[in-house]
Amino acid sequence: MKVVECKELTKRYGKAKAINNLSFELTENKITGLIGRNGAGKTTLLKMIAGYLHHTSGDIQVFSENPFNNLKVSANSIFIDNGMSFSPSLTLEELLETSGEFYPNWDQRLAKRLFDYFSFNPLQSHVNLSKGMKSTFNMIIGLAARCPLTIFDEPTSGMDAGTRKDFYRALLKDYIAHPRTIILSSHLLSEVEDILEEILLIKNGEKLLHMPIEILKEYSIGISGKATAVSEWTSNKETIFTQSIGVDGSYVVIKNDCSLRDLEIARDIGLEVSSVSAEDVCTYLTSKTKEGIDHVFN
Amino acid sequence: MSLTDVTTWEITKKQYRYKLKSYFGVFSSLVAIQLLAILFSLNGTGMSGGSSGTFSYDVNYYTGDIIQVLVMIWAFITAIIITTKAYRYDDYSFVTNRLISHYSNILFLFSASILAGIMVFFTGHLFRLITILLKNTDSIMVSELTLLGTLKGITASILYIFLCASIGYFVGILIQLNRLFSFLLPVLFVGALFVDGMNNDPTVFPSIISFFGSENFLFLFILKIIMASALFYILAISFSNRMEVRP
Repeated sequence: MKVVECKELTKRYGKAKAINNLSFELTENKITGLIGRNGAGKTTLLKMIAGYLHHTSGDIQVFSENPFNNLKVSANSIFIDNGMSFSPSLTLEELLETSGEFYPNWDQRLAKRLFDYFSFNPLQSHVNLSKGMKSTFNMIIGLAARCPLTIFDEPTSGMDAGTRKDFYRALLKDYIAHPRTIILSSHLLSEVEDILEEILLIKNGEKLLHMPIEILKEYSIGISGKATAVSEWTSNKETIFTQSIGVDGSYVVIKNDCSLRDLEIARDIGLEVSSVSAEDVCTYLTSKTKEGIDHVFN
Repeated sequence: MSLTDVTTWEITKKQYRYKLKSYFGVFSSLVAIQLLAILFSLNGTGMSGGSSGTFSYDVNYYTGDIIQVLVMIWAFITAIIITTKAYRYDDYSFVTNRLISHYSNILFLFSASILAGIMVFFTGHLFRLITILLKNTDSIMVSELTLLGTLKGITASILYIFLCASIGYFVGILIQLNRLFSFLLPVLFVGALFVDGMNNDPTVFPSIISFFGSENFLFLFILKIIMASALFYILAISFSNRMEVRP
């Protein structure tokens, strides 16, 4: 079943396009990572999926319905980000109980155990929590609600390293026990790549890639060696990233579509072929220019 | 994971229960405003006196009207407050849509009006007791209280408060749609008062007041107020249906 389906989706703020002609589908019970740089349109896209924002043109369907202002979508999805606001007159414990009333699949036992594990004070108010603690509390609600569509928008912002690890582990464990569709946005792919099944990479509101994470790991290769040799060998290939190393060295990342024979030639002329991690591929693909930040200083 | 179907009414009830708990601050301000109203009323609203030879008398009037008026203002402001971002966004941390948000707000305002109306009645009596204790009086005359009269009085009080809340809600939504209204509406209101009274013969405002204020037939009165409040809520709902959440 398709949980989220977007066709030529566009969202405009004034004249600027936050989301531009985006088409993709998310199927049931998968963890998808939404990866992009700051300002790529991740939050806008997620808010449209959650039914918070209108789209300007194109089509968006969640559970085969338009999500905006839609009760069915609201009841079956949860959107967790650090802008979630809760009434200051309720204590954290009361907030958990209230969530339990609203979400039919709510697991109070899990919520309570996570709550105790992260040593929250049940009588505290949400507004008095620190940024990291807020994120952690929101994450508990997101996990325990067990919504068929769970959306986390940069859930770990403000969390310390230990809490981040705990969060991803808790997410994975609960997902395995209760499979559901999860969308996780992040700008740090290295942190989440172990738990993702699919990755949706966006840049300036447009889709760059949407593929299983295993395929992304073999998406490109890195070539390093003498600058002249490298540029000659890569002249007819699609380069993703170029960096000069030392005096006359160079490192180029290309799309991994060359034949074995090509690679043999590369080795013969003294070039070094290396694999490129998923994180690096994403960084290179989403960078502003092919030379990266170095370009500014040249 | 299978999808759940929920009905609007089911979620409205849950949102309403959540609001009764989470908008608690509204009720403490209600108590505060009534204490303030008692203080303002202590001076009495009117006084007359006379003398004849060696005999003189003073008559002081004390009424709880100020309490009712201040509570009506409280309802107006409370309704504006619950349309602000901080309150609107709270709803969306749980299951809701725009319509449910409005429905539960209206239910909340109605319950708050009932509570406020009953409190106005009791505060009015508390205030009379306080004046008796504080003021140096020789004789006290009070208007007679029948059960039916009391119930009618409380109903009217509740409905006036609810009407003010509905106006406040409408104004609040207008301001949320465009900040300009927070400046425009007071200007228009005060301006209209001036224009109306320009040739020393105001007609519009007095007739609005007497339309709601001097209806002797209870059923018709209830109908008038319910229709007027419904109009304000319907306008508020239809204006805000395309509003985005946390844009």
